[in-house]
Amino acid sequence: MYRYDEIDREVLADRVAEFREQCDRRLSGAMTEDQFKPLRLMNGLYLQLHAYMLRVAIPYGALNSAQLRVLANIARTYDRGYGHFTTRTNIQFHWIKLRDAPDILRDLAEVGLHAIQTSGNCIRNLTADPHAGATADEVDDPRIWAEAIRQWSTFHPEFSYLPRKFKIAVTAAAKDRAAIRIYDVGLRLHRDADDALSFEVRVGGGLGRLPHLSPVIRERLPVRHLLSYMQAILRVYNRHGRRDNIHKARIKILVASLGAAEFARQVEAEWELTDKAAIDLPPTELARIRATFARTGFETLPAISTVFEAAKADDRAFARFARNNVMPHKQPGYALVNVSLKAIGETPGDASAEQMEVVADLAERFSLDEARVTYEQNLLLPHVRLDDLPEVHRVLAAAGLATPNITLISDIIACPGLDYCALANARAIPIAQDIARRFADPALAERVGELKIKISGCINACGHHHVGHIGILGVDKKGEEFYQLTLGGSAEADAALGHVLGPALAADRVAPAIDQIVEVYLRERRDGERFIDTFNRAGLAPFKEVVYAPAH
Amino acid sequence: MKALTANRLADGEVVFWTGDVWSERFVDSRLFDDNAEAEAAEAHAKSNIVELVDPYLIDVAAVDGGVVPVSYRERLRALGPTNKPDHGKQAVGGADTALLATAHGAARSKGRVDLIRRK
Repeated sequence: MYRYDEIDREVLADRVAEFREQCDRRLSGAMTEDQFKPLRLMNGLYLQLHAYMLRVAIPYGALNSAQLRVLANIARTYDRGYGHFTTRTNIQFHWIKLRDAPDILRDLAEVGLHAIQTSGNCIRNLTADPHAGATADEVDDPRIWAEAIRQWSTFHPEFSYLPRKFKIAVTAAAKDRAAIRIYDVGLRLHRDADDALSFEVRVGGGLGRLPHLSPVIRERLPVRHLLSYMQAILRVYNRHGRRDNIHKARIKILVASLGAAEFARQVEAEWELTDKAAIDLPPTELARIRATFARTGFETLPAISTVFEAAKADDRAFARFARNNVMPHKQPGYALVNVSLKAIGETPGDASAEQMEVVADLAERFSLDEARVTYEQNLLLPHVRLDDLPEVHRVLAAAGLATPNITLISDIIACPGLDYCALANARAIPIAQDIARRFADPALAERVGELKIKISGCINACGHHHVGHIGILGVDKKGEEFYQLTLGGSAEADAALGHVLGPALAADRVAPAIDQIVEVYLRERRDGERFIDTFNRAGLAPFKEVVYAPAH
Repeated sequence: MKALTANRLADGEVVFWTGDVWSERFVDSRLFDDNAEAEAAEAHAKSNIVELVDPYLIDVAAVDGGVVPVSYRERLRALGPTNKPDHGKQAVGGADTALLATAHGAARSKGRVDLIRRK
């Protein structure tokens, strides 16, 4: 993975020193909160309901064991023993003290981590396919390109005060594991017939109050022009984005109001005027970045592991884990292991300091020192030998990290909601816990199959409710917590925004309604259909009829 | 009836104005029946930039056993997150925690509305 060089380390050290001085000035009263707030936000420090929250950037969700151990240590030393992994593949600490924040940033910097680009109207931390470098279905490693954009965008003077925040996701695989269509810019790598790499460029996706799935504005962009084309997109946005109205300031509104074709025309016109050679990444620099992602530690192994096969035959719990949490690797004899942060009854995305250390140890011992964060709020060990899977499972299970529920109904996305967030209208976590408890029986969860529930505590949609197979949005109805259900959303290649099922439900009606919806699905489904397939065929009506049937 | 709340600058802790000092417990709150008096206290708090962030008034109401914030959001601030009963002020327990935790009814929090307006 990418290692910070001397320049990167100096930049981070300067940044920590600068923020320490800013904190001192605020604490002494030399600065007002209005003066200080934009500065602390540029360092990822928010004030939430109970304390400060620090959001740490995890570029494209990639961590090594040293970084994970530092995150664990921060949780233990400065927080209350846990952290929350988010749908943006970052981690948030919810009990931070302002006076500790400079020391935390110092500790992070020692392992090349920071909170830059986690707030404000800049180009935010990049996300990419968490299976990058491990999956057979990618045409290149998307992290190389995400890292190139990260280096170009960090502290970019022209793009530090955009009309609104700006998020970019990159994938190189056919299966979308990075939710690229709900991003401001979604990039998908293609390898063309002549073996040349190009990007399909999508612009203008986003959720929130006015959700949009991004249209394609350019089918094939030669990869060497990535940065100059990004600059052209950002210049058009910077020029015409709605700075007058925060609700209309995201690029999705600009693209929707101009139309994708006109937006694309303006980008192309801007790009024509651009001195591309001055902006685009020199081949030498690309080669330097590429080299940092080259993976050479794989052993030559048989594709079938007798150890793995025997363990599956002997141990039903392990076999279930293997079915649901273990995924194929491009390298024979290896697998990807999903580490579920969705233990039944726990908070989705939360990991204790001890759990982070367990994953760090496993990454170091069994996964070529790599771990990943997924936008579905789980962790992942990307390079595990099949022979090691029984031991990895045993250690994960002992730490409460082996719930065999990846993509199943209890693998729920939930934002922190009103339990922590200053913007939320309603809680999300207890709703997720209620639903997961109803489907705690792993056999039942497997029988239901792939079903993605996504819960947001307000319309800002950090919990991606619009693109849940079942989406749940917390609303404030005359001061009470109510929940609006949507069905039929998807964040993958078949991306779709969900359809509202009906009037919002009281909190205690949500989990029973999910039960009813699942019953309708099990009754209606045809051979091999997932929930989303049945919904797409049968529509809202059968579900609506049951959930809103008059009480007897 | 109103009470005055804020977050403490140095650590973000939720605090309540007792009339003399800032307390971490809602039960210590000075209760204002008089709006003008409450607003004067709020204005004074806003000038205290070394100790506080975002002071604001909240609506409170008498219930059996005491007084609680009217809005659900403010009761959560006075307690801590519901997913971690051992974190936040609720971890201390006691009669005031029990009263806040069992209070029913909710209303839009003026604090949140103001926060959104300020954004």
